[in-house]
Amino acid sequence: MTTMTATDVQSARPGLRVGTTSEFTLFFRVRPGHGEAIRQALQDLQNSDGYRPGDYRIPIAVIHEARFALFDDDTRLLFATSFDGSWDAYMLDFASKPLQLFAAIFEHVEGYEGLPDLAAVKNFILDAQVTAAAYARNYPGTVKQLRKATALEEAFQRVLDDPGAEGALQNPVLQPLLDQAADA
Amino acid sequence: MTTAPTIPGDAGQAIALDVDDIQAGALSERPSPYVGRYLLLRVDDPRHGRELVRRLAAVAAIGPDTPGSAADAWTTVAFTYRGLEKLGVPPASLAGFAPEFREGMAARAQELGDVGESSPEHWEEPLGSPDVHVAISVLAPDAARLGAVAERARAASDDLGGVEVIWRQDCYQLPSGRTSFGFKDGIGQPDVEGSGRPLRNPTEEPIKAGEFVLGYPDETGSLPPMPSPDVLGRNGTYLVFRKLHTRVAAYRRFLRERAADRAEEELLGAKMVGRWPSGAPLAVAPDGDDPGLGADPARNNAFRYGDDRRGLKCPAGAHSRRANPRDALEHEMSVDTRLHRMIRRGTSYGPPLPAGVLDDDDQDRGIIFVFAGTHLDRQFEFVKTQWLNDGVFIGTPEEKDPLVGGSDGHGTFTIPHRPIRRRLTEKPPFVVTRGGDYLFAPGLRAMRWIADLDT
Repeated sequence: MTTMTATDVQSARPGLRVGTTSEFTLFFRVRPGHGEAIRQALQDLQNSDGYRPGDYRIPIAVIHEARFALFDDDTRLLFATSFDGSWDAYMLDFASKPLQLFAAIFEHVEGYEGLPDLAAVKNFILDAQVTAAAYARNYPGTVKQLRKATALEEAFQRVLDDPGAEGALQNPVLQPLLDQAADA
Repeated sequence: MTTAPTIPGDAGQAIALDVDDIQAGALSERPSPYVGRYLLLRVDDPRHGRELVRRLAAVAAIGPDTPGSAADAWTTVAFTYRGLEKLGVPPASLAGFAPEFREGMAARAQELGDVGESSPEHWEEPLGSPDVHVAISVLAPDAARLGAVAERARAASDDLGGVEVIWRQDCYQLPSGRTSFGFKDGIGQPDVEGSGRPLRNPTEEPIKAGEFVLGYPDETGSLPPMPSPDVLGRNGTYLVFRKLHTRVAAYRRFLRERAADRAEEELLGAKMVGRWPSGAPLAVAPDGDDPGLGADPARNNAFRYGDDRRGLKCPAGAHSRRANPRDALEHEMSVDTRLHRMIRRGTSYGPPLPAGVLDDDDQDRGIIFVFAGTHLDRQFEFVKTQWLNDGVFIGTPEEKDPLVGGSDGHGTFTIPHRPIRRRLTEKPPFVVTRGGDYLFAPGLRAMRWIADLDT
């Protein structure tokens, strides 16, 4: 699946995919008179665990980032994210857990009636989803891989900070790491 | 509706399943040891076909739980979409079946990864062809009892010229009690709410009956979609039937070439499977096989992966952990594993490859994989496409299931290990799909309803 590109995307399915990651873009209409309430709900989300700037631990582990934008005088809401995996396959999972995390926001948009069943969830999402006209990514990999890469980078920096690093990295086995060390 | 008595302390408290109407093969564990036979039939004359269904309904009604019955065998009867069409099920009813079932497995090949050697053009005749209409499986503890029941099933079609048996596959548990790869299998089954069967995994709430039998609420709280009229769908279930050839010699050579000694061979095999040969889970017995644990149904399925997220005991990519990740993904909030559970009723076919043999003997051996569930899409197809054929969900997009994930000969498998992880490369395919289909196993009343059709 790593070789899959945007051109491989099956057009019948909403959302473009690049490599392991898909874009997910939803447009909602805010219920009349709910502009202030939804802004407050978004503020509350921003102040919750994982969503504070710098937290980098959004509770939904497969999404790379999440963006909520109110526009047209707070009468409309954009929810845009990138996530790892197949939207088609995971739609019900999304309905079962992560969507509930956003209930306090979605209750201020039209079409949200508490999502009592799968059909309601499907309709709610599919009515709001717009497939991107263009989608590109600047790095490959899943959130899991990137977190691992970040941890590895931190470990490497700690090694380089050690006065013994230069000597230790002389072992030919470590040549690929030494190659990175000059400007790491 | 007749209701089954519920017994405190078992899986049957919240909802009463109409067990008398559900075909025994769906909810009953296979006997052990077992011998069995699979038959596929083509219906040329719908009237004969419906008469066959009437007779088979009587055969399928008799199971080991039938009071006063000496029959110690399970007969399961199921139909392809084309079979139901051929039997005269009205178009309005046919339209209510799951889309994947209506398409059939061969049409889903690309999606399922049945490509290359496993693609339908190479399947064994008549698997995947439009000629397959009726499927019968009989499982029994020994050949004598199988013979008696299979004879009843066969006799059901004897004088019906418009019905023909077009394929037969015998299966039997190998003397070792294990699969051709050498592992005890069929262990990690879900506990089904209302089934009345003993709980095997106390670490997990039983799964809602509607995940496995139509007509009952499923894990979403809704009734799974089912065809009309009600009598046709209720107490039925979808089956997935796949004949999977196993390349045992290639598997053994792969391990031999990569292991320093026999003990390491066994360890690498266990890491790929997620269990030791005895069935003992790596999550509980990480350092060596524990035959007592493997043999104990109260313990061999009672475990979780929560304390082993890095996979140091059981690799995240191991076959049994991929197919049933248990709690391993719970903290990620992105997947609800209860929506992706499978009842499996697989059996082994073909002779064992004698111990120690590393060269292929050209014998056909492998597994008849059988799945039962109400959601082909989010159960079988999800597990196959997202968890077995893909590694995105565990952060290794390039890796597939080491046994059944397919391979172009360059597959890799990562084994977390301190101090340094081990990575097996150039992994050839060990399993080739020989064919299969999606089936519907109706309840007994539904079978009589089909038999009474007059179209």
